[in-house]
Amino acid sequence: MQSSAVVRRQMSLARKDELIGYLFVAPQMIGFLLFVLGPIVAVFLFSTQERNLLSGVVNPVAFANFDTMLQSDRLFPKVLGNSLAFTLGLVPLNLLLSLTLAVLLTRKLRGTLFFRTLFFAPVITSTVAWAIVWRFLLQGEQGINQLLDGVGIDGPNWLREPGWAMASVIVTRVLKTAGLNMIIFMSAIQNIPREYDEAASVDGANARQVFFRITLPQLAPTILVALVLTIIGSLQVFDHILLMTNGGPANSTAVLIYYIWFQAFRVFDIGYASALAVVLFLIVLTATAVQWLLRQRFIYNER
Amino acid sequence: MFVRKSLFVLTLISLAVLTVFGVSAQDTPVTLRYTLWIGADSPQVALFNELAAAYTAEHPNVTVTFESIPFGDYQSVVTLQLAGNDPPDAGWIVEGAARSWVESGVLSDLAPALQGDADYNFDDFSASTLGLWTEGDAVYGVPFSTSPFIVLYNQDLFVEAGVPTPEELIASGEWTWENLAASAKAIADATDSYGLQSNDAALYTGNFWATLIPIMRGFGGDAWSSDNACQFNTPESVAGLQFIHDMIFVDESMVPPGAEVDFFAGAAGMTIGQLSRVNRLATAEFAWSIAPLPEGDGGYQSVVGQAAMVVFNNSQNREAAIDFVRFLTTEENVARIAQFFPPARESVLTSEALLQANPLVPAALMQTAVIDAIQQGRVLPSSAQFPRIELLVRPALDELWVAGADVQAVTDSICEQISPLLAR
Amino acid sequence: MNVSTYPAPLSEPLKSPADSVSAFIYRYGNKLLLYLLLIALSIPFLFPFWWMITSAFKPANDIFAYPLTLLPQTWRFENFVEVFTFQPFARHYFNSLYIAVLVTLGTLVISSLSGYAFARIRFRGSGLFFLLLLSALMMPTEVTIIPNYTLMQILRLTDTHIPLIILPILGGNGIVACFLMRQYFLGIPQDLEEAGFLDGLTRWGIFWRIAMPIARPALISVTILTFLYSWNAFLEPLVFISNSDLYTLPLSLRSITDEYGQAMWNIQLAATVLTVLPVLVIYAIAQRHVVESFALSGSKG
Repeated sequence: MQSSAVVRRQMSLARKDELIGYLFVAPQMIGFLLFVLGPIVAVFLFSTQERNLLSGVVNPVAFANFDTMLQSDRLFPKVLGNSLAFTLGLVPLNLLLSLTLAVLLTRKLRGTLFFRTLFFAPVITSTVAWAIVWRFLLQGEQGINQLLDGVGIDGPNWLREPGWAMASVIVTRVLKTAGLNMIIFMSAIQNIPREYDEAASVDGANARQVFFRITLPQLAPTILVALVLTIIGSLQVFDHILLMTNGGPANSTAVLIYYIWFQAFRVFDIGYASALAVVLFLIVLTATAVQWLLRQRFIYNER
Repeated sequence: MFVRKSLFVLTLISLAVLTVFGVSAQDTPVTLRYTLWIGADSPQVALFNELAAAYTAEHPNVTVTFESIPFGDYQSVVTLQLAGNDPPDAGWIVEGAARSWVESGVLSDLAPALQGDADYNFDDFSASTLGLWTEGDAVYGVPFSTSPFIVLYNQDLFVEAGVPTPEELIASGEWTWENLAASAKAIADATDSYGLQSNDAALYTGNFWATLIPIMRGFGGDAWSSDNACQFNTPESVAGLQFIHDMIFVDESMVPPGAEVDFFAGAAGMTIGQLSRVNRLATAEFAWSIAPLPEGDGGYQSVVGQAAMVVFNNSQNREAAIDFVRFLTTEENVARIAQFFPPARESVLTSEALLQANPLVPAALMQTAVIDAIQQGRVLPSSAQFPRIELLVRPALDELWVAGADVQAVTDSICEQISPLLAR
Repeated sequence: MNVSTYPAPLSEPLKSPADSVSAFIYRYGNKLLLYLLLIALSIPFLFPFWWMITSAFKPANDIFAYPLTLLPQTWRFENFVEVFTFQPFARHYFNSLYIAVLVTLGTLVISSLSGYAFARIRFRGSGLFFLLLLSALMMPTEVTIIPNYTLMQILRLTDTHIPLIILPILGGNGIVACFLMRQYFLGIPQDLEEAGFLDGLTRWGIFWRIAMPIARPALISVTILTFLYSWNAFLEPLVFISNSDLYTLPLSLRSITDEYGQAMWNIQLAATVLTVLPVLVIYAIAQRHVVESFALSGSKG
C-alpha cells in the first residue's frame, strides 16, 4: 500500500518526465512545424494564388491554376506521361537487377564482398559525379558508341533522341540506386531460415525450384515494400534528370518533379508550381496509402 | 510553464543565430558586385578588372568584383540573386531579354546621372542604339556592345579541301549561304573536320538565337516581326531552318547534336561568331580569318547582338553602381572596350582608332565585317515575354534536330505556342 | 540446367580426360557461369568509375581520343592544379565540408533527443507527434522547398548557407534520423535504464550516461547517412545559392564549363575525382557500417 505522499511524488516525477519528453522532442517538432508541415500547408495555399517569385505579386485566384493545368497547359499531360513512363521503366528494372544481384551475392561465392562493394558504390556517389560521367559516355560519337562501333553497331545519339534519352536516364538511374535495394534483399535472403531450402534440396528440388517455391515467397513482403518505396522514390527523381538531360530533348524527360522545379525556379511562377506540387502530393499519398494497406494485409497477417 | 519557458528560450536562441549569420556590415567601404557572362579568366574580364582598378584609384572606398555566370544560366541566376539576400549591384543584360527587364521595374533609371554629366556626352548614343533600353525619358541600360555576327573560318581547312575561301568568294561576289554550305560539305568530305559549327557550339543547348537568326534572316525570314507577329513558320524562315537541318542531317557538314567539337581547336571549318570570339584564336595553330555574313535569298542581312550595362534597383549601393557604369561607358573607356565589343557610341564607331582597336583583326576586315555591318545591322529579336518564349522555343526546337524532321510542322507548333505570349 | 548452391558431389570415379573435363564443368561450371554473370553485370558499375579516374589524368584532347583509351597516354597532373585556379574550388570544398559537419552534428543532437523521447518517455501526444513526423516523409523535399524558399526570402537568408544547414537537420533527412534513433532505443533492454533510475540518475543522466553510449551504432549510422546526404546534396544549394563564392561541391562541379557553357572535361573530371574519392575511400574502409546504415534507411527510386 502506497502512502499519498509517495503517490504524489511519483506523479510529480511522471509529470516532470513528461516535461522532459516535450523538451527532448521540441527542437525536432518546432523545426518540423516550421520547415515541413508549414510548407506543406503553404503549398496548398500557394496553389490557389497567382504568385510570382520575381515581382512578389500575390493574388488569390481560387482554382485558376488547376484550370490552366487541366485545360490549357499542353505540357502537363506530357509531363504526367513522362512520369508514368519513367516509373514504369525504372521500377521493374531496378527490382529485377537488385534482386538478381542479391541472389547472386548470397550464393557463398568467393569475392562476394568485392562485388557487393562495387554494386553499392554508386549509391554513395554524388548524382552530379555520376551524371557528369554518363553524360560523356552517352554522347553521340564518344564513349559507349565508340565501343558499339567496335562491334559494328551504330549506336543512337542517346541523350539527344527523345525515346533513347528516357531510356538512358532510366538505366543510369537504376545503376545508381539498384545497390540499395540489393542490400535490402540480401539481408532479407540471409534471414530466411536455412533449414527451408536445405530440406527442399534433400527432397530433390533443384535450385530453380528452391528459388521460386521457397526463397521468392519468403521474400514477398520485402519485395512488396521495396516495390512501393521504389515507386515513390521514382516520383522524386529530380537532380538526376536535371543533370543528365535538363528535361530534354523536346521535354521528353521532363517528369512532374522536374516540371515543378522548372515552373518555380525558371518561370518563377510559384502559384502554378504549387498547384503541380499538390498533384504530386496526391499521387504520393495514394501510393503510400496503397503500401500501408498492402503491408497490413501481407506482413502482419502472415506473421 | 516549463514547456512555454523552454520554447521561449529556443526562440531566443534561434533569433540570436539568425542575427549572427544574417546581418553583415554594410556601411564599411563599398564593394560593388557586377555580373557578366564572360569567363573570369578571359581577356575581356581582365580589361574590366583594369578599368575597375582605375576607378578604385579615383574612388578609394569603392572596389568592384566581377562575377561570371555562364550565359545559359545568366537570366535565371541573376533573377534569383535579385530576389535573394545579396543582390548584385550592376551587370550586363542581353538584347533578347532587354524589354522584359526594362518592363519588370527592377532596373534603375540612369538618365539623370548620365545626362547631367556634360563630359559624358550622352547624345553620342544614337536613339536607335538606345531603343531597347529606354522607356519614355528613362534610360535603363547603356549599350556597350553592338556586335555584328560574322563568320570565323579556318583557312587551312579550306586549302586542304581545295575550295575557295570566303575571302575569295567575296571577291568574286559569290559569298552566299548556298556557297557556304557547299564549302562546308567539301571540308567535311575532304578532311576529318566538320564544315560549320554553330555560334559557340550552343545551337542545341544554349543560345540558339545567335545561329538561327542570322540564317533565318539571310533567307528573308525572322523569329517575329517588329509588331510581334510570329514568323517562325513563314516560307522564308522555314527555308532557313531547312537549310540548317540539311547541313546537319543530309550533308553532315554541320556539327550534329551531342557531338563535342571545337572550332577554336581546329575541328571545324567555320563558325558563326562575334568580334569578341576572335581573341580565342590568338594562340590558334592554324591560319584563320573572318568574313561578314553571306548573302541569301533575302539579300545581305547584317545581324547585330546587343548588350547593355544596367544597375539593379535592389542594389544597396545604387549611387556608386550608377557612377561606375557611367565611368565604364565614357568615351575613353568605350574606346578601350571596343577591341572586344564594337561600340554604340557614334564618336568611337567612326574613329580611325577603332580600325586598329583589335590587333588580331586587319583594318580592312574591321571596316567591312564589323563597322559597316553595325551600320546596316538589325538587332536580334527582343520581347517583353522573352524568357517565357525562350523556355517554349528551346524544347520545341529539339524536335527539329532529328533526321527527317518536318520543319513546317515544328515551326507551326512554335508559332502556336508563342503567339499568345507575343500578343501580350 | 541444374544450378545448385553447392558443388555437387562426384558420384563416380573419373575415367578419361574427356570425362574429367565434363566432370569439372559439372562440378564448377555453375560457379563459372555465376562468375561470368557477375563480371558481366559489374561492367556498367565499374566502367564509369574507371573512366572518371583515368580521364582525370588525361589532356583534354585525349579524352576524345579514338579509340577510347583505358589508361592516359600522357599523364597530365596539371588538371588537378587547374581545378583550383579555375574557380575557388578549395573554398567550395571547405563550404561543403563545414556544412556537412554542422548538419551532421545538429542532426545527431536533435534526432537522438527526439528519438529517445519517442522511444522511452511517456508524454501526451507522443504517438500523434511521431505519426505526424513520419507522414511528412512522403512529401518530397522538392515540393516543400518552394514555400521554404519564400520563407528564407522573407528571413533574408537566401544566398547564405543557413538553409543548407537548417533544412536537412529538421526536414526529411532529420526525420529519418529520428526514426532510426527511436528504433535503436526501443531495442535497448529497459532493465538497464531502470537500474540507472534506482541508482538515482535523472532522466538526463540515464539518456546521456546509459542510453547514448549503447546507441553508438545508431549514432554512427546517422553520422554516415547525414554526412553523405549533405555532401552530395544538390537541390538545396541549387535553389538557395546563386552566388558562386557560396557554392558547395556539387554546384562547383557543374559549373566547370567554359564561358559558353561547354564542359571542360579534364578539369571537371579531376574535380569530380577530388569530390568522390574521399567518400569512396571512407566507404572502402568502413564498408560494413555504410552498407548497414543504408539498409536501415530503406529504398529509393
